[in-house]
Amino acid sequence: MSTPVTAIPTTEPVVVNNRATVKQRLTSFMPLIALVTLLAALTIADPGFLTQRSLTAVVQTSAPLVVLAAGATLVVLCGGIDLSIAALCSLSTVIFALWLPDLGGLTTLAVIGAAGAIGTVQGIAHVLLRIPSFIVTLGGLSIFSAIALVISDAGPIRIVEREATNWLTLYVGGIVPMSFFVAMIVVAAIALVLKLTPLHSWVSATGYSESAARLAGTPVDLVKVGAFTVSGACAGLAAVMLVSRNFSGSPTMADNLLLPAVAAIVVGGTAITGGHGSIWRSLVGALVITLLRVGLPIVGVPSAYEQILYGAIIVAAVALTLDRSKVLIIK
Amino acid sequence: MTTDQQIEAEANAPGPVHALEVRGLVKHYPGVKALDGVDLVVHPHEVLGIAGENGAGKSTLLKALVGLVRPDAGEIRVRGEKVRLRSVVDAANHGIGMVFQEQSLVPNLTAAENIVLGSEGQGVRRGIYRWETMRKLAQEQLDKIGSTIDPLARTDTLSFADRQMVEIAKVLRIEERSQHPPVIILDEPTSVLEPKEIETLFTQIRRLREFASVVFVSHRLDEVLEVCDRISVLRGGRSAGEVLAADATPSELHRMMIGSTGSDNHYHDSAAKRPNLPREPMLTVRGLSGKTFRDVDLEVHAGEIVGIVGVHGSGREDLCRALFGAEPTTAGEVTLDGKKLDLSGTRAACAAGVGYVPAERKSEGMVGPMSVADNMTLTKQKSRCTGPLVAPRKQATLVDSWIERLSIRTPHRGTAIQRLSGGNQQKVVLARWLVAGDVRLLLLDHPSRGLDIGARSEVYRLMRELAGSGVATVLLADSLEEAIGMSDRIVVMSDGRMTTEVACPSGGKPTPLDLVKEMV
Repeated sequence: MSTPVTAIPTTEPVVVNNRATVKQRLTSFMPLIALVTLLAALTIADPGFLTQRSLTAVVQTSAPLVVLAAGATLVVLCGGIDLSIAALCSLSTVIFALWLPDLGGLTTLAVIGAAGAIGTVQGIAHVLLRIPSFIVTLGGLSIFSAIALVISDAGPIRIVEREATNWLTLYVGGIVPMSFFVAMIVVAAIALVLKLTPLHSWVSATGYSESAARLAGTPVDLVKVGAFTVSGACAGLAAVMLVSRNFSGSPTMADNLLLPAVAAIVVGGTAITGGHGSIWRSLVGALVITLLRVGLPIVGVPSAYEQILYGAIIVAAVALTLDRSKVLIIK
Repeated sequence: MTTDQQIEAEANAPGPVHALEVRGLVKHYPGVKALDGVDLVVHPHEVLGIAGENGAGKSTLLKALVGLVRPDAGEIRVRGEKVRLRSVVDAANHGIGMVFQEQSLVPNLTAAENIVLGSEGQGVRRGIYRWETMRKLAQEQLDKIGSTIDPLARTDTLSFADRQMVEIAKVLRIEERSQHPPVIILDEPTSVLEPKEIETLFTQIRRLREFASVVFVSHRLDEVLEVCDRISVLRGGRSAGEVLAADATPSELHRMMIGSTGSDNHYHDSAAKRPNLPREPMLTVRGLSGKTFRDVDLEVHAGEIVGIVGVHGSGREDLCRALFGAEPTTAGEVTLDGKKLDLSGTRAACAAGVGYVPAERKSEGMVGPMSVADNMTLTKQKSRCTGPLVAPRKQATLVDSWIERLSIRTPHRGTAIQRLSGGNQQKVVLARWLVAGDVRLLLLDHPSRGLDIGARSEVYRLMRELAGSGVATVLLADSLEEAIGMSDRIVVMSDGRMTTEVACPSGGKPTPLDLVKEMV
């Protein structure tokens, strides 16, 4: 560094209020608190709930949701949203079922790759054509659903060879379901890459303020396309998990996962406006959502009311996490 | 100054009640005292001009007058009665209305709808528009200013000047609300008008005086002197005096705006420290054209600060952004240090050693919720990495050294940058380009905007030292004085073209009026 720069301090006031308030700290731990509270409540409602068997069932059920939410979180962190994940996941289950007879053991990787490529295309459409991600992925949702219906002849495709997906039904150490283990690896991998490389700065800057990021020379477009690619690939992986559980591919298999995935992200405390949040939060969010799903019937709530609860939870979670002080107009 | 004393005496004398009176108005923003005890009196049926440099507190004062900003201290009296203005509607009910700098009309509504918008009164019955009544209401307002605009014309089909008339007509609706002669505030109304339209506007303002008080704000002193009766000058958030327009000259007004203090080498200018410029320029621009600028030629040498001045619409901001790859260009070639500069995007520019400090610090210059450290290393990621991985210790050492070098006052490098004061934020934004030590061209778009005098002085010192170390600098200054004070050479832009170049050496500086002549 050769630039001989010094400056003389002035009397300019440092305007700082650096202490995070109790409320802020509490808000940031809210998802974990919610998870523990929910677990406690369910145990009280049904003392038999806190057993290894039911907990194993819960995390196994949550695996596809965790993966979907983890991928989509990246897009949300960049300030966008991916509404196509569930439809893309459904489409991927169909593709998996169709490709399996030809590709055999390679099908899993091929499906993840294909779904990732579809995500890339959406990302490029968003970036190059300057269409809001909301619209691009809403279109994607519709298109992928339709394609899935067409290529599957509008019905489930049964899978005969189960070798290709059998590994996902195994248990790690005899306790942890393989699918959940894989989901954890995905979450940890994304989180680690973000933490250890400049990507975290890039993603946050893009999400908080795209124009500032661009003017700082951040590869905004590349980061966004990358986020959509990962989101797509995660939808592909979630599809493999669903297939391993249901032994079939179906054009509507994952459709009911969109709302829970978005709910998982916001319940985790990732700001839907971008920038603030993390993948780990979405993991906690997905567990909360799954616990609700599994637990409500235990408490005796009819399944029809589940959707009402999701809706209410999303609105409430955004109400808790959104920093309204800086937003003048809410659209 | 006798005129001052006369006015002061008049203001304190018991007698006719003032249309509007402001006493000791104070407003603090983080790090800046925007208003520091402003006094102001508006008489009935007069046009009062408010003059002041950027950052003198004009816009904050106007916002306080229409309820957009709540003052920390001081009082506002309307016709002798103390008021607390909470919103624009509140201000309108007291008879104060403002024609905004950025027009506030809804483009796809008719002129009539815009005029009565928010105060429909008889124009709406049981929730339903009564078009005939609305047209009449609107026509009444347009008649007041003698305008011939068709009230049923869609607003976006009107010319800019006509839209401004609609806006004035809209503001005049407050006359009915408060049942008193209104106070109409015009914030930079001439900045986008043609000379002929300005004449029409001035005729209107003189008409308005018949039944209202007008507060007129403009950057152009000649306009202020032409249309106003009396002029109140603001400087650094304080009232710096008043003059009657008939008695004042532009230079006198100007002297009041700048003040005699603070200019003692405020810009850290000294010829002795100036290195000899190399013969080959660092930056060479040949025939560069873009959306708002055409055929620009420019040369900047290492160690040189070149100011670009021009009025609104001169294209200098876009030129600056284009050199950073943030604005498309249609023709021309740019070389930096002998190599062709890729203008396709900001990343290429950053890699080539170009740095850019945007005018809008809060929305474009920094990422508010991110830490000081992450903001500082946002561009030069390599400076904090070992291989592809971020090295937290390396980053901490680097950032701390720059915090110390630039005296950035922050409790910690991990503090969110939005918690710092404006001057410290700006130092972090500047440091972003310095951490890697490879910046060769700095494009500074209003680097001192919104900073108080102390912070400005530090930014100026930093600019001098960077120039001294061989960085070529392009400066879009906040004011002509700043451009003259900081630049070695000034280039004048008008309508997207470079018109003149004025040498600006230490000890041989031109006056602002010399430059103004070239700008229009």
